[in-house]
Amino acid sequence: MASVSIRNVRKSYGPVEIIKGVSIDIQDGEFVILVGPSGCGKSTLLRMIAGLEEISGGTVAIDDRVVNDVPPKDRDIAMVFQNYALYPHMTIADNMSFALRLKNTAKSEIAAKVERAAGILGLGPLLGRFPRQLSGGQRQRVAMGRAIVRDPKVFLFDEPLSNLDAKLRVQMRTEIKEMHQRLKTTTVYVTHDQIEAMTMADKIVVMHDGIIEQIGAPLDLYDNPANMFVAGFIGSPAMNFIPGSIGGDGFTTEDGSRLPLGGRVPAASDGRPAVYGVRPEHFRLADEGLAAEVVVVEPTGSETQMVLRPLGVKAGREDRKRELTWVLRERTGARPGEVVRIAPDPALAHLFNPDTGLRL
Amino acid sequence: MSRPLRKLLDKAGMAVCVLLLVSPALLFFLWMLSLSLKFEIDNGAYPPILIPDRFAWKNYTTIFEGNSFLLYFWNSLIVTGAATLFALLVGVPAGYGIARMRAHKSAVVIMIARMTPGLSFLIPLFLLFQWLGLLGTLWPQIIIHLVVTVPIVIWIMIGYFETTPMELEEAAMVDGATRWQIFAKVALPIAKPGIVVAFILSVIFSWNNFVFGIVLASRETRTLPVAVYNMLSFEQVSWGPLAAAALVVTLPVLILTVAAQRQIVAGLTAGAVKGG
Ligand SMILES: Nc1ncnc2c1ncn2[C@@H]1O[C@H](COP(=O)(O)OP(=O)(O)OP(=O)(O)O)[C@@H](O)[C@H]1O
Ligand SMILES: [Mg+2]
Repeated sequence: MASVSIRNVRKSYGPVEIIKGVSIDIQDGEFVILVGPSGCGKSTLLRMIAGLEEISGGTVAIDDRVVNDVPPKDRDIAMVFQNYALYPHMTIADNMSFALRLKNTAKSEIAAKVERAAGILGLGPLLGRFPRQLSGGQRQRVAMGRAIVRDPKVFLFDEPLSNLDAKLRVQMRTEIKEMHQRLKTTTVYVTHDQIEAMTMADKIVVMHDGIIEQIGAPLDLYDNPANMFVAGFIGSPAMNFIPGSIGGDGFTTEDGSRLPLGGRVPAASDGRPAVYGVRPEHFRLADEGLAAEVVVVEPTGSETQMVLRPLGVKAGREDRKRELTWVLRERTGARPGEVVRIAPDPALAHLFNPDTGLRL
Repeated sequence: MSRPLRKLLDKAGMAVCVLLLVSPALLFFLWMLSLSLKFEIDNGAYPPILIPDRFAWKNYTTIFEGNSFLLYFWNSLIVTGAATLFALLVGVPAGYGIARMRAHKSAVVIMIARMTPGLSFLIPLFLLFQWLGLLGTLWPQIIIHLVVTVPIVIWIMIGYFETTPMELEEAAMVDGATRWQIFAKVALPIAKPGIVVAFILSVIFSWNNFVFGIVLASRETRTLPVAVYNMLSFEQVSWGPLAAAALVVTLPVLILTVAAQRQIVAGLTAGAVKGG
């Protein structure tokens, strides 16, 4: 168990800067998730913590000891790779005990630790097999077992569930969370699946193009996104953004509809252009609301998701971005082509600066 | 066209292609076999006879009687064995180093060394060996066979190590392995099929090489190909014994290849990454 402190870390490949000054403080026992779109530098950052990638600038410290120049083998971290990276020529038991055997741990102790980890993960009957004889989910578990056995200071995961099918992914998500609650090992977990992030993390770090957009608890990010990027990235389906301007005590969309602001009008902002952000689940039917045509209805059983096209927005590729998503808990008889009137809950809506993306 | 018929045609087409591709080698081999079992008189017969009425086993027995064949066999074994062993000892780690450091330039240099005609360094080496007083021994041949075997091993191992997933070594690194431990406990075992291939090719090339032997071997240190060649030049050309000798020379390599075939095909990396 340990804290990890990342201070102003940079990474360049030649002239290209991939990580542009990132600072994160990870407390002892915390479960931190790095999210962000593909290519934003999550894996690179994780690999720098592991020591697999050289750090171009700044410091990484584990338990207050700067480890920039410490090789991976001396950092006492365990990593679970996206492709599991199990040693193909070793049995599952040997895979799990590899690190301990390197440290010349006593045989009896190795056996006990492997047994315990196998018990936690339900791998007991598989210990004598080779990785090629396991299913994807089982391999994934072995990879975790290999990490648990070592009882390291920090667990690092790089998209460990992305190769699993949807059902197994949900199951493993729960297992990893349970494992963390049980072992309380400091964990850094990379994913670009924001549901994984929301459900598992103590703290989410949203990355974008090599910088941190926001750090916070899952619901905090959900309720108070610092900018449009975070607002659009966290939450599924994504937040609706409606361009327009602030005027009087409300918001006027580009095609002239009025949306309520609930008296939260920022000072001295009359006529100022802004983007109105509202989550799909924060609309409700209202007689005075925005008129929109139903384009698609997608019932999932527990809820219904609808794509709406505000009247005045033309059908077609160009205007796809101006379509709105609405998620409602109850079932609905609405059919495509029908026109509905919906209004956002002003208390849960956000306003953003269209130029900087920052929340107003 | 109906589906079964189409499938059949596909298969037949494949069979014809395979046959066409291997037939030259196969026919050549069968002809050698036939030659080695025929008496001298049958050789000139027209139309040619493939399967003679009487087998000339004598062609084979004479090989082992005269010509100190067993001595030459022993020489070949020592030269090829030592040259291959040494090549593996040097070439496998070298191939690993080049693959991991992406030192492709040095790989090219090795390739050039391989392409240079052997004869060009034979003369200076001959003088060197003479000066060292090694000429009556097998050492000169062992050393010069390294010119053939080491590049083959390195070249094959580079290719093999480059295809083994880097993630495995990174996992070992995180697991606490030193560079050497990673090589010995992860990279090397995974590369086993590659090593087998390198071993076999090295043996084949070394075993069949005869230019070096012609120049460097004395009467007692001849290797098999040289001995066969000498049969051709000094006695009158007697095809039967010659073909028999050639077959006997080829046999060990043939057996080796067939025996290790399975090893080569069985990819050990399966299961290392998803979908393997
Ligand atoms: N060895 C390298 N040389 C040059 N550029 C690299 C190298 N490795 C990664 N990059 C670049 O660094 C950027 C970040 O890569 P990284 O793998 O960290 O992204 P990621 O956030 O993990 O993405 P994903 O979600 O797709 O895994 C990418 O644009 C990538 O092209
Ligand atoms: Mg990645």
